[in-house]
Amino acid sequence: MNKPIKLPEVLAPAGSLDKLKVAILYGANAVYVGGQKFGLRTAAENFTLDELREGLSFAHERGAKVYVVLNSFLHDKDLAELPEFVRYLEEIGTDAVIVSDLGVIQTVREHSQIPVHISTQASALNVHSAHLWKKAGASRIVLGREVSVKEAGKIRREAEIEIEMFVHGSMCMAYSGHCVISNFTQGRDSNRGGCAHSCRFEYSLEGLDTLEKKKAYFMSSKDLEGLRVLPEFIEEGIDSLKIEGRMKSHLYAGTMAKVYSEALRFYEQHGHFLSDDLLRWEEELKKVSHRTYTQASLVEKAGPESIFNERENSSDGEWKMVGPVIEATPEAGIILEVRNAFNQGDELEILPFSGEVIKIKVNEMMNLAMKPVTRTRPSTLVRIPFVPGVEGMQLIRQKVNA
Amino acid sequence: MKFTTYGRSLHDLNLLKDQGVDEVILEPKSLSRFGKLSAEEFISLSQRSRELGLRVLLEWDILMTEDVFVACAPEIQNLLPYADAIRVQDPGALHWVHTQTNKPIQFIAENGNHNLKALESWIKLSEGRIERLILSIELSKNTIADYVKKLPVPCELLGFGRILLFYTPRPLLSSLVPAKVSQNEEFAALGESEESPHKGFPIVENQHGTFMFHIKEFCLVEFAHELKEMGLTYFRIDQRWEVPPKLQTLMSLIHVFNLEQFESFKSEYSQDLMRGFYLVNKTDVLFPKLKNSRLQKREGNYVGEVLEAEKSSHLAILVKNPKGLKESDILKILHPKGETFETKIYSLKNIALEPVSKIPAGEIAIIQFVGGVWVKSQVFYQDE
Repeated sequence: MNKPIKLPEVLAPAGSLDKLKVAILYGANAVYVGGQKFGLRTAAENFTLDELREGLSFAHERGAKVYVVLNSFLHDKDLAELPEFVRYLEEIGTDAVIVSDLGVIQTVREHSQIPVHISTQASALNVHSAHLWKKAGASRIVLGREVSVKEAGKIRREAEIEIEMFVHGSMCMAYSGHCVISNFTQGRDSNRGGCAHSCRFEYSLEGLDTLEKKKAYFMSSKDLEGLRVLPEFIEEGIDSLKIEGRMKSHLYAGTMAKVYSEALRFYEQHGHFLSDDLLRWEEELKKVSHRTYTQASLVEKAGPESIFNERENSSDGEWKMVGPVIEATPEAGIILEVRNAFNQGDELEILPFSGEVIKIKVNEMMNLAMKPVTRTRPSTLVRIPFVPGVEGMQLIRQKVNA
Repeated sequence: MKFTTYGRSLHDLNLLKDQGVDEVILEPKSLSRFGKLSAEEFISLSQRSRELGLRVLLEWDILMTEDVFVACAPEIQNLLPYADAIRVQDPGALHWVHTQTNKPIQFIAENGNHNLKALESWIKLSEGRIERLILSIELSKNTIADYVKKLPVPCELLGFGRILLFYTPRPLLSSLVPAKVSQNEEFAALGESEESPHKGFPIVENQHGTFMFHIKEFCLVEFAHELKEMGLTYFRIDQRWEVPPKLQTLMSLIHVFNLEQFESFKSEYSQDLMRGFYLVNKTDVLFPKLKNSRLQKREGNYVGEVLEAEKSSHLAILVKNPKGLKESDILKILHPKGETFETKIYSLKNIALEPVSKIPAGEIAIIQFVGGVWVKSQVFYQDE
C-alpha cells in the first residue's frame, strides 16, 4: 500500500481583509496578515482589530489558519505597546504569530500561549540555529531564502521543528534583516517596515578592474518561483510553502493560492507532476505581474544568473486585473467592480475558485442603474450577464492589448 | 573603558601592545566576513598575541546555511585552542559554541536587537555563556546608557569604522567583470545611484558574498568620554579599510579630546565621518506618511466603502459591518482627502434595484447620491 503523501500547507499573503478572503477561497490553507503595527509592511492597508477578528472567523469557518506578523525589530517604546495586542490576538483565536525579534518572542510568551513562528527576517539558516529558536519557544521556523530544500529537510529532521519555506515571490537580495540601506540613507527603518527598496535602483559602479563605469541593477533579485521544486519540498517533508506579497494585488493572491494548491492536490492524487497541467500552471504564474523568475537557492546556491538586471516595471505584465466580482446572481447578473476599463465585445477570463478559467465575451453590459454602456470606467460598478459557476470575490482578468 | 580592534599582522599586534590595548580580534578567512588569515596565519598570530599578553578573540561572524555551517565546523574546531573567546552573529554559531565548547561567547547583536528584553533574552538563552554583547550602532545614546546600566554583561560598541549596510551571500560584482580578471578572489567597487543623493558606496565581493557600506564612516570619537561615563566597557575601532591605519591618532584623540586636532584629523581622513543615530533615532517618524491614514480608520462604527459614486444618481456602498445597513441610518462619510459628509438614508436598494429595508454585510447597498463623495470614501454609522 502506498504511503499517504503529506502535503505542505499553502500559505498566502493577505494585505487586507478582501485579499484574505480571496486567497482562502482560491485554496490557501493559511494566510499571513499584519495589524496596524509591528509588521514590516507599513504602507500596506493591513488589518484593523475588527478585521482581524472577522478574518479569523472567515478562515476558521473554511478550515484555514491565520498567522499574524509581528516581525519588526522593535525598539523599547514599540515593545511597550505589544502585550495588549498579543492578548487580543489570543482572544480572537490567532493560529500563530510570526516573529523575528527575541524580545517580541519573550513578550508573546509572557502574555499568551499563541504558537510562535520564527520569521525569515531572523535569517535562520542551519540546524543549530533551529535548535536555538526552538529552545526560545518557537514551534516553526521560516527559513532564510538562502537555504536549499535539501538543507531544509535536514534542519527539519535534526531539529525536529516545523519548517516553512518561501516558494514564490519577490526576494530580498540581502540576508533578510541584514539590510539597513534605508535606515542610513532615507531615515526609514527597513526592519520596522520602512524599506525604500534601494536594492532595486540602478547603480553606476566604478573601480571594477575595467576602464569604464558600469551601470547595473546589480542588487536586484529575480523573483522566486518554485513550482517545479514541489516534489522536493514534499519529499523533504517541508510543512509550509509561503508565497511572498502582502503588498500585491488581489489577482496575485488569488492566482498564487489557486496554482500552488491545485498543483499540490494533483500531486496528492497522482504522486507526480507529469502532466500538461504543469505547463498550464506555469502559464498562470506568468499572467501576474512579476520579474523574471528564478529558483534562487532552492536547488543550487543562487549565482549571478539570479540577478534581475533590469529597470522595475510597474505595469501588470501581459494580463491586467479587470476587477473582482462583487455579487453574482441569475437575477442581478454579475456585478463587477471595475479596476481597469474594458469595452463591450472584449474577451475576459474569470478565475473560478478551482478548475480551469471561464472565458467570456462581453456582448452586453449595463451600469448599476441598468442603462446599457459600451465602455466601462475604473472605479465604477458594471453589470454583465450571469454565467453559471461565477461567485462573489472571483477575479476577472483581460489580456493586455487583446 | 577598554579598546578593541582587529589585527592582521605582527606589526598590528605590536602596535596594539604599544597602545595599551589588551585584546585583539583575529579573523580567519573561512569564518569571518572580511577575514584575510589562513588557519596557519591565525595560529601564528594567536601565539604571538598571547606572548604579548593580548587576549585573542576569534571572529566567526559569517551567516551560514547548513552546508556552509558543516564546512566551517572542522576549521573552527582546529582554531578553538588558539582563541580565548569566540565572537558570533549567526544564532546557529552561538548555539554551537554554547553546546560544543567551553569558550566564552561574545554575541554580535548589531542587527536588530533594539530592545532590552531581546538582549536580556540572548543572555538567558546562552545560560550565562555570553561574556559580552556587541550593541547595534542604531541605538541612541540614552538607550545605550540605559542598556549598559541594566545588562549583566559588559557591552561593546563600534566607536569608529565602516557602517555595513547590506550583506548577501550572492556574488554580485564578479559577473560584471570581464572574464580575464574573473579569477580574482575579491572585487571592490564604488557605487552610486541617480535615485539616491549619496555617492560612492564602497562595495566588496569576496568568498562570503557581497557587502555594501555607507559612504561615510561611523565616528563617536568626540563622544568617547561620554560613553566612558555611561559605563560602556569596550570601544571598538575598525581601521581595516584605511591605508595606512590611523589607530594611534584615534587613540590619542580618544584619550585626550582636542577639537582642533579632531577637525584636522577629519579633514585628512579618507572618508567623511558621521555619528549616525547616536544623538537620536527617528527612523520611524516617516511611517505615518507612507499610507493614507484616512483610509485606515475602519474600527468600531465602520460600515464599509463607497465602490461607486454616480453623480445625481446614487452611491454604491459595499457593506462590511455585520450589523448591515438599514433605511434611516445616519451615515458619516469620510472622503479620502479628509472632508466629511453626513447623510440620512432615505433611499435604500439592493443590487437588483429593489427597494429594501436592510442590506446585510457582504452585499452592496445603493443609496441616494451625496454631493462631494468619491469612490474609496469610507462610511461610518453616525450615531455611535
